[in-house]
Amino acid sequence: MQRGHMRAPARALFVAALCGLMLLASGMAFAQAPSPPGQALAFDRAKGNCLTCHDIKGGDSPGNVGPPLADMKQRFPDREQLKAVIVDETRRNPSTVMPPFGRNLILTNQEIEAVVDFLYTR
Amino acid sequence: MKRPGSTVRTASLISVLAMLIAAAARPAIAAETIDPAADFRAFRDYFTKKFPDVPLNDFVNGPASMDADLRRQWQSIDDFPPYDFAVERGKQMFATPFANGKTYGDCFADKGIGIRQNYPYFDQTGGEVVTLELALNRCREANGERPYSYVKDEMASLTAYMAFTSRGKPFDIKIPNDPRALAAYQKGEQYFYARRGQLNFSCAGCHVQNPGNHIRTEVLAPALGLLAAMPIYRSEWNGMGTISRRFVTCNSQVRGVPLAPQDELYRDVEYYLSYMGNGLPVAGPGARP
Amino acid sequence: MRPMTMAASWRGRGLLVLAVLLFVAASAARAASSEADFKAAMAAADAAESEAGALKNQWTTTEDALAAARKAAAAGDFETAVADARQAEALAKASIAQAKDQETAWRAGVIR
Repeated sequence: MQRGHMRAPARALFVAALCGLMLLASGMAFAQAPSPPGQALAFDRAKGNCLTCHDIKGGDSPGNVGPPLADMKQRFPDREQLKAVIVDETRRNPSTVMPPFGRNLILTNQEIEAVVDFLYTR
Repeated sequence: MKRPGSTVRTASLISVLAMLIAAAARPAIAAETIDPAADFRAFRDYFTKKFPDVPLNDFVNGPASMDADLRRQWQSIDDFPPYDFAVERGKQMFATPFANGKTYGDCFADKGIGIRQNYPYFDQTGGEVVTLELALNRCREANGERPYSYVKDEMASLTAYMAFTSRGKPFDIKIPNDPRALAAYQKGEQYFYARRGQLNFSCAGCHVQNPGNHIRTEVLAPALGLLAAMPIYRSEWNGMGTISRRFVTCNSQVRGVPLAPQDELYRDVEYYLSYMGNGLPVAGPGARP
Repeated sequence: MRPMTMAASWRGRGLLVLAVLLFVAASAARAASSEADFKAAMAAADAAESEAGALKNQWTTTEDALAAARKAAAAGDFETAVADARQAEALAKASIAQAKDQETAWRAGVIR
C-alpha cells in the first residue's frame, strides 16, 4: 500500500541526519575537553616537572637550579611575560637551562595557560 | 613614475648582495684554531675559581665534593664499598684465559695493569678514539669471544678492576698533533656543549652551569673530573654502570634518543672530558647516590 | 483521504534534502581520516624522524608518538593515528631545528 511505502524512507533519513548532527556535536565537545588543573601539570614529572628546578609552595623535594616561584603576581605583573618564560626562556636568556615548554612542544598552549594560572596563586 | 616591477627587482638585487656579503664574512668562525691546552687551563680555572674551598684532587668525587652531607655519606660507604664485588669479579675475569688460551692482559700494555689513566687515546692507525670499553670488546673479538654489553655487568667488572689497579695515578690523556685527533677532540667538545633532547639540555647546562645545585634531591657533579671515578656503583641503579651507561641514561633523561653505546660521538665526548680532567687522580671504581 | 507524506510537500522535500546534507557532511567529517590519510601522515613523520636520526638528534617523545600512531592504525582508529603521526612530525621537525641551530649555537656556552 502507498502509505507505509513512502513514509519509512523519509523518516529513516531524518533520523540519520539527527545522528549525523550528534556525531558532529560530539566531535566538537571532545576538542574542548578541559585540561587538568595547573598545579597537577606543574608537579607532574611527565609534564611541567617544575619542582625539579624550582621550590614551589605545595611541592616536595624541590631542586634549586632555578629561583623559588613565589610572589609571582608581584614579580610578573604582565601575564604575557610569565607565559613567555615558560614558552621559550631562551629568547630572553640564551644561556638558560629552562626547557622551552612551548617551542619544543612539551606542553600545549592550553596547558601553559593553566600552569600560569596556578603560578599566580603562589 | 617608476613601474612597481622594477622597484621589486632592485630590492631583490640589494638583498641578494647583502646576503652574499654576510656569507663571505662568516668563515672567521670556522677558521678558529683548536687549542686543547688553552681550553684545559680555562676549564680548570673556571672550576677552581667557582669552588675555591674544594681541593683540586677532590673534584673527582663528583657530588660529594660539592655537598657536605653527601661527603659524609660517601665516606661512610667507603668501609664496605658497594663496588667491591665488581672489582673481585673483574680480577677473576682477568685471570681466566679465553677459549684460545690468551688473556685480557695480552691485549694491553703492562698486561693491562695500572693503565686506566691512558684511556681514551687517539688511535692514529684507525683514525678514531679508542676507549677502555671499546678496547676490551675488541680484545674479546680478536680472541674469538663474543663482545659484552657496554653498559653494565661484565664490562663494568672489567673496567672496575682496571680502574682499581690505577687508583691515584694522574690522568694522562694525549692529543697527538694530528688533525683527526684535534677534530675528534672538537667534536667531543661540541657534543658536550650542544643542547639536545626535547628538554633542551646540554651536558654543560648541568655540569658547568649548575654543579653543586640540585635537581629534585640529586646534587649535580662538576664537569672537572666527571669521568675520573667511573665505572660507578650507583644506588639509583642498584648496581654498577659504565661510562656508556651514564651517557645513554643522561640522553634519555633529557628526552633524547640515546646513541648506540660507544658511538663515535660518545667516544669523542669521553675523549674531551677525560682530557679536561688531566692531572686528576684515577678514582674508579666509584660510588654515587 | 490520502495522508500527506514528507516527500509529497515542498517543505517536506526541503527538510529531507537538508537532513541528507547534514548527515553526509557529518559522516564526511568523521571519516576524514582514512587509511590513506594515515599512510601519508606517517610517511611525512617517518621522513622527518629519519632526517633527525641522520643529525643524531632524535627525541624520545617523537618515537613515542610514532609508536602510538602505528598502534592506533593497527587498531583501525585512523583519526587518532593521523593526529599522532602529525604530532610526531611536528616533534621531529622541532628536533631537526634544534640540531641545526646548535651546529653553531653550541659555542656560546664554551668556557673561555
